[in-house]
Amino acid sequence: MSEKQREVLRIAWSMTLACIAGSAVLGVVFVATERYAEAARAQGERRAITELLSLDSTATVVEIRQYLSLEPRAVVYRADGADGGVELRFSLDGDLLERQPLAATAGDETDGLEPLGRIFVAEENGAPAGFVIEGASRGYKNVIRFFVALDRNFEVAGVRVVEHEEDPGLGAEVATPWFQGQYLGRAAESLDALEVTKDPMPEDWRAALDQLARMPEADWEDAYGPLAGRMREGPIHAVSGATISSEALTRGVRTTVDHFRRRWALIAPHLGGAS
Amino acid sequence: MSVVPIPGQEPGARFLILRGIFTENPVFRLALSLCPAVAVTNTIANGVALGIAVLFVQVLSSVTVTLVKGFIHPKVRIPVFTIIIAVWVSVIDMVLAAFAPAVYAQVGLYVKLIVAFAIIISRLEVFASRHPVLPTFWDGLGMGLGFLFALVTISAMRELLGNGSLLGIALVPTKPLLFFALPAGGFFTIALLMALFNYVERRWFGGTGTSSGGGGGHAA
Repeated sequence: MSEKQREVLRIAWSMTLACIAGSAVLGVVFVATERYAEAARAQGERRAITELLSLDSTATVVEIRQYLSLEPRAVVYRADGADGGVELRFSLDGDLLERQPLAATAGDETDGLEPLGRIFVAEENGAPAGFVIEGASRGYKNVIRFFVALDRNFEVAGVRVVEHEEDPGLGAEVATPWFQGQYLGRAAESLDALEVTKDPMPEDWRAALDQLARMPEADWEDAYGPLAGRMREGPIHAVSGATISSEALTRGVRTTVDHFRRRWALIAPHLGGAS
Repeated sequence: MSVVPIPGQEPGARFLILRGIFTENPVFRLALSLCPAVAVTNTIANGVALGIAVLFVQVLSSVTVTLVKGFIHPKVRIPVFTIIIAVWVSVIDMVLAAFAPAVYAQVGLYVKLIVAFAIIISRLEVFASRHPVLPTFWDGLGMGLGFLFALVTISAMRELLGNGSLLGIALVPTKPLLFFALPAGGFFTIALLMALFNYVERRWFGGTGTSSGGGGGHAA
């Protein structure tokens, strides 16, 4: 072997060693932090749900995971519950194919299942308190993930962007309380016709929405109820310079709620003890 | 402040730290890592969070490089430096996500970009790969503090002028000059502060302008 070949081997060895050492460090740190990261995410979600629905500490939240099964084609719902949970399988036409206890199935096995987001069903003192539905929509740069909360009367109790990569100062404004406040109090069925306008937002409405983050929601409704009622008849005002992000979130909220209403009508009768 | 270390002797801690913050400030004097200095400095909170993350990455990468420099083949030192930086950035990313989710929600997007910060790899190449552990630590600390100082100064000016607030506390009810909160305003802010730094340097220390003696070119 010539000197040149040995040199090439040494270079390759040096690089390989660096990569192996780097991967080892990352592996160790990942294993050590994964649990905590997962717990922090779950805790953040639980807090968001509690705040969105203004739940008290006695409330229970049941998580329903929705999947699309490709082979055989079916929509699968897995609901946790005190009785161990239940799994429902529906055909794409909405016929119930199968209902079985969650423990009898593979449990958390998700092979061949496409996640379709989750639904959180909240109960307070034994009565339904509302729903939080996870949704996603393609934004300007990447997917915008968000929660939509509906109260027991199927009115929007809040929208919260939980993950996005929109531009700071422009598209990122859709994640602010004032923008998300525009969805508040709209009836679920009115969302189908919800539009986004580029017209400037009336100044009194903008000022009112700015107050949303500074006072409890009930007080805000008392203070700005008539104005809010009027504005809820109208469209969503886009963030100026960020129409794409504004439309993305609005479209996402509209589709997510629409899907949820159909699916809930299907699955609610079959949840039994789990609802 | 034009202190020159005696040849053959390692520079002291005080010199290295002051050099990183003032005479060779990464942003205002070396003109390195200007992109992130514009991108994240629209509020002080963002600037501080990213500045601290960079400080950690700089110190940890510098010390790692100086410890393993004997094992790195000179022909692949730049790729190996990049791996070292990427490892530390990923470690900080994972630790933040696990233990400081609130901070992570704010700066998580930017932390991953630290891999490409010119200032960090420039210090590894210019200093860490040629000096023993202790001076390298002080150099990394000085440069990290210098970057943090620059981000805080830029973001304070931009938040005040662009949003009319400091640390999120509104000082005036309106947004005085929204322009400064937008990316273009970031460039102007850096230019103004850089000019100020150069003026002070020439007036009081008889130094030269930005990026005359510093290492590295203009890059991310």
